[in-house]
Amino acid sequence: MFKSMKFVLKENLSNLYRIYSISKYELLADMRDSKLGLFWNFANPTIQVLTYWFMFGLVFKKKNVGSIEYLPWMLGGMVVWFFISPCITNGCNAIFSKVNVITKMKFPVSVLPATVVLKELFNHACLMAVMVIIFAMYGIYPSWHWIQLIYYLVCAIIFAVCLSLTTSVLNMLARDTRKLILACMRLLLYLTPVLWSIDQINKYPLIKSIVKVNPIYYIVQGYRDCFFYHHGIFYYWKSGLAFWVITFVLFAFGSFIMYKFKHKFIDLI
Amino acid sequence: MEQEYAVEFHHVSKIYALKSKDKKYTDDKRFYALKDLSFQIPKGEVVGILGTNGSGKSTMSLVLSEISGIDEGEMVVNGEQALIAINTGLNMQLTGMENIELKGALLGLTKKRIEEIKQGVIDFAEIGDFLYQPVKKYSSGMKSRLGFSINLCLDPDILIVDEALSVGDKGFAQKCINKMEELKNEGKTIIFISHSLPQVRDFCDTAMWIEGGMLKEYGEINEVCDHYAEYVDYYNALSNDEKKKERDRKFAKRVIPNGKTSFIDKFLRAIKNR
Repeated sequence: MFKSMKFVLKENLSNLYRIYSISKYELLADMRDSKLGLFWNFANPTIQVLTYWFMFGLVFKKKNVGSIEYLPWMLGGMVVWFFISPCITNGCNAIFSKVNVITKMKFPVSVLPATVVLKELFNHACLMAVMVIIFAMYGIYPSWHWIQLIYYLVCAIIFAVCLSLTTSVLNMLARDTRKLILACMRLLLYLTPVLWSIDQINKYPLIKSIVKVNPIYYIVQGYRDCFFYHHGIFYYWKSGLAFWVITFVLFAFGSFIMYKFKHKFIDLI
Repeated sequence: MEQEYAVEFHHVSKIYALKSKDKKYTDDKRFYALKDLSFQIPKGEVVGILGTNGSGKSTMSLVLSEISGIDEGEMVVNGEQALIAINTGLNMQLTGMENIELKGALLGLTKKRIEEIKQGVIDFAEIGDFLYQPVKKYSSGMKSRLGFSINLCLDPDILIVDEALSVGDKGFAQKCINKMEELKNEGKTIIFISHSLPQVRDFCDTAMWIEGGMLKEYGEINEVCDHYAEYVDYYNALSNDEKKKERDRKFAKRVIPNGKTSFIDKFLRAIKNR
């Protein structure tokens, strides 16, 4: 168990340049595909945010959440979702989409989940830029509380890598994994309090505590805390503990199966 | 002390599971892609691997480059090995230059090293002004030249070349041979997998003949090549029925009805055979 974790960690850390290059050129290739290139990295999340805002802000007339207006409040959580969600869907395909590489050269397979996450990190940065502009229109300006974003971003990256590690190997064993995950993504979005506030389910304490264990919620909550509430990292230590335990279990299991199957992938295609 | 051998095989076998025709039998047959191979390749030797179709040459190259694991036996490789793969890792949207950088990174080179080899690759691939065009605009010859050049500019101790020279025109093939000749003189071990007897005769010191997943002969180049040529002639002279018999005979030797399986194999098969 520890051997496999050490193996995955070492392989990732000793191949940082490889990870960087792969994601850089994947991004570049994506941009070359279209005429407008980089524009879509900004336009795509903006249009999605507008959709949700139209739906919930205008049609359903969602009221302010506490003292914060709905659009910035939603946006504060949505940035996390727009980072985590493609990480999950593309992450489980990380190994399978590189089949032509891993069958033709000696390649450290366990770095592939990290390349996917790094690639999405660039899109995340684009969306953050859009978000800062929208926040400024609502009178929310960057403050020193935003420094904690770094911690939550690291959390999000580690969680996404650990999850992709597990799902990408499972996807090699059975391609059904990806289908299952794609089908469940919308469900996951509505189960996570991104579009609704967790205070709305105060009546059901059991469900509320289950929702609070959701690792994605921990990150969403953390981002919002940096933007609006300013409670600090340690205020959410219970969710934080749950988050790290879940992430560690994912990492341990992910690296265990990665280690176990590392020479078998080619026979699994 | 320097090790004498570049590659050592001790009773190495590679097994694939075969699906049975009849769905009712859940216990599948298993098939030896490679069966009980034992040999040692000394350092600095150029070995040609011969064999008819389906005799396990490609599996051999995958096993040698440690892309695919082995099921039985022991394999010792002293040094860094690289499989010369032609079109892999080339991204159609990127330019030739970007592809050199990308493929270099895929192969695990450092940034500095990539800068060093760049010029060599560009010269060798002879793509000229197309360097800054997306690879999708390249002719297929250009693509393989680019892919091959990046591979050759790596500096592995053991080179595994699998049918690589069947692409490109005669001139380029000769260029590749010359380059490999150079590497040979530097004392690299080269494992050359090919159908082309003349090329093997020309280039290799020793040859290995694999037939039906088993090692038939390993020794001095001309001797093995002669025997192989004889066998091919003999096989071609057979009538169709006899050919079929010969194939079946070989096939039967490689199948194991249902041997002991490791847990992982069972698990894999359970997943695959639902």
